[in-house]
Amino acid sequence: MRRNPGLWYALPLIVAMLLFFAAPMVIVVWYSLMPPRSFALTTDIGLQNYRSAFADGYGRPLMWSLLGAALTTLITAVLAWPTAKILHRHTGRWASLVTALIALPIFISESVRLFGLSVFLMPGGGILAGTLNALFDVQIGTILNTRLAALVGMIYIHFPFMLFPLLLGVAMIPADRIEAARDLGASSWAVLREVELPLAAPGLLVGGLLTFVLCLGANAEAAILGGRAVTVITATIEQRFNYAQDWPMGAALTVLVIVVTAALVFPAVRRIDLNRMLRR
Amino acid sequence: MSGGRHILWLKVIWVGTVVTALYLPIVSVILASLANTRYMRFPHRVWTLDAYRAAAADYTTVTLHMISLQIALCVVLVSVLLGTIGAMAYARYDWKGRSLFQRLIVLPIFFPQPVLGLALLLSMSALGIAPSWKTAVVAHAVWIVPIVTLVISIRLFGYDVAQEEAAFDLGASRWQVAREITLPALWPGIFSGALFAFLLSWSNLPLSVYTSGADTPLPLWLFSRTATNYSPLVPAIAVIGTFVSGLIVLLLLAVRQLLARRT
Repeated sequence: MRRNPGLWYALPLIVAMLLFFAAPMVIVVWYSLMPPRSFALTTDIGLQNYRSAFADGYGRPLMWSLLGAALTTLITAVLAWPTAKILHRHTGRWASLVTALIALPIFISESVRLFGLSVFLMPGGGILAGTLNALFDVQIGTILNTRLAALVGMIYIHFPFMLFPLLLGVAMIPADRIEAARDLGASSWAVLREVELPLAAPGLLVGGLLTFVLCLGANAEAAILGGRAVTVITATIEQRFNYAQDWPMGAALTVLVIVVTAALVFPAVRRIDLNRMLRR
Repeated sequence: MSGGRHILWLKVIWVGTVVTALYLPIVSVILASLANTRYMRFPHRVWTLDAYRAAAADYTTVTLHMISLQIALCVVLVSVLLGTIGAMAYARYDWKGRSLFQRLIVLPIFFPQPVLGLALLLSMSALGIAPSWKTAVVAHAVWIVPIVTLVISIRLFGYDVAQEEAAFDLGASRWQVAREITLPALWPGIFSGALFAFLLSWSNLPLSVYTSGADTPLPLWLFSRTATNYSPLVPAIAVIGTFVSGLIVLLLLAVRQLLARRT
């Protein structure tokens, strides 16, 4: 038996992640403890940024981001579930074509797709409004520049991130299990709740986590589609860094986002067995 | 069963709606690029390719593509290298810390991307490094390397270790085994990993926002020009950029075909 070189192979990645993932997190925390509006890292640390983070109304953007992320996760899950079931059930050329068609937009920049959504929804001369006006002489309003538009954008962008993990999850449900439950007289609702959801849970968890976290950092949806109707936390952070030139405050808000993310991600990652999902 | 047909139709309509909804905005971009006015009035009174002519004549188009290409190619290189080595630790060998390694390595994927970019920006500035396309490469790689590692690992799970053992027993050297057995088995995974890395980097917006400095990659330029100073040039360059990435992917696929035919 040869010596097991696993650790040696892991080493480059571990070093890279320590340098470019873990160390930057430490630096952000350090910055967040600096006095307001300072640009250097010193030992003069304190919690004043966190105190003003809660006192000065930065809670609202964070709430909006959390709410948007939660709603998007829920809605994409509801939309992706039947889609995943259908795509899994029907294999063959059509199903693979549809799967490829759904995957393709992920690789088109989200700034392009969101811009497309905004010209589609634009009032008056927008694609939808203009077409309806020209063909049927119908005038319609727009949801552009509202919170709803930002939410629609988030759902649109993140749907594939929910669907593909969910497809892996749905594939983990043995077909005979559903048959057996049906034969024993279970209703469709009971089959969904007692059999399908628990068995597909790993996929749902990965998809949900990915969607929620990506939404928490999402900014372009609110900027391009939401107008001034909603300010998300990443927009506030950017504003602190760029216009206010208050890096420590921006860093403190960033740390709050990291804390929320970590509180969700760490327990979930401990529970998910990616090995089992990927090794089919 | 008479209900069967209805259910099948419902399914077709559902999937059709999903696909249509995903593509409507993309079609809208193409339609918007065929106008010649700053304020869109659809249907256009004049349908024209002027915006594409303007984009072709504008040097910014080339610069934007070159920056995005530079970043994407570097990300591909870094993530294929680190991802292949990392996948060996992830899926090929069973070692003591493997389960912990597998969990820690996916963490960056589950992190908000602008936060990753910001954290890197602050670190760079603490070290006195000015952000440029090179720092954007680092930011992209932090998120993309774990994904590529997973993509390559999927292939490795089905890999039969006994082949390597057999080759060693037959007197092959470590290098020969790597070249003749391990790499060919890994090759499809490496190829898909490279494809993923390229496409994810090319289209990524949030990781570049803070990290690219004065070098503006394509998605970032599109994002800022959508908000201010809009003209049909913006959707035209969006369409061109998407086409270029598609062409590069086709080129990579053709290269793979050629290589496969040779061996």
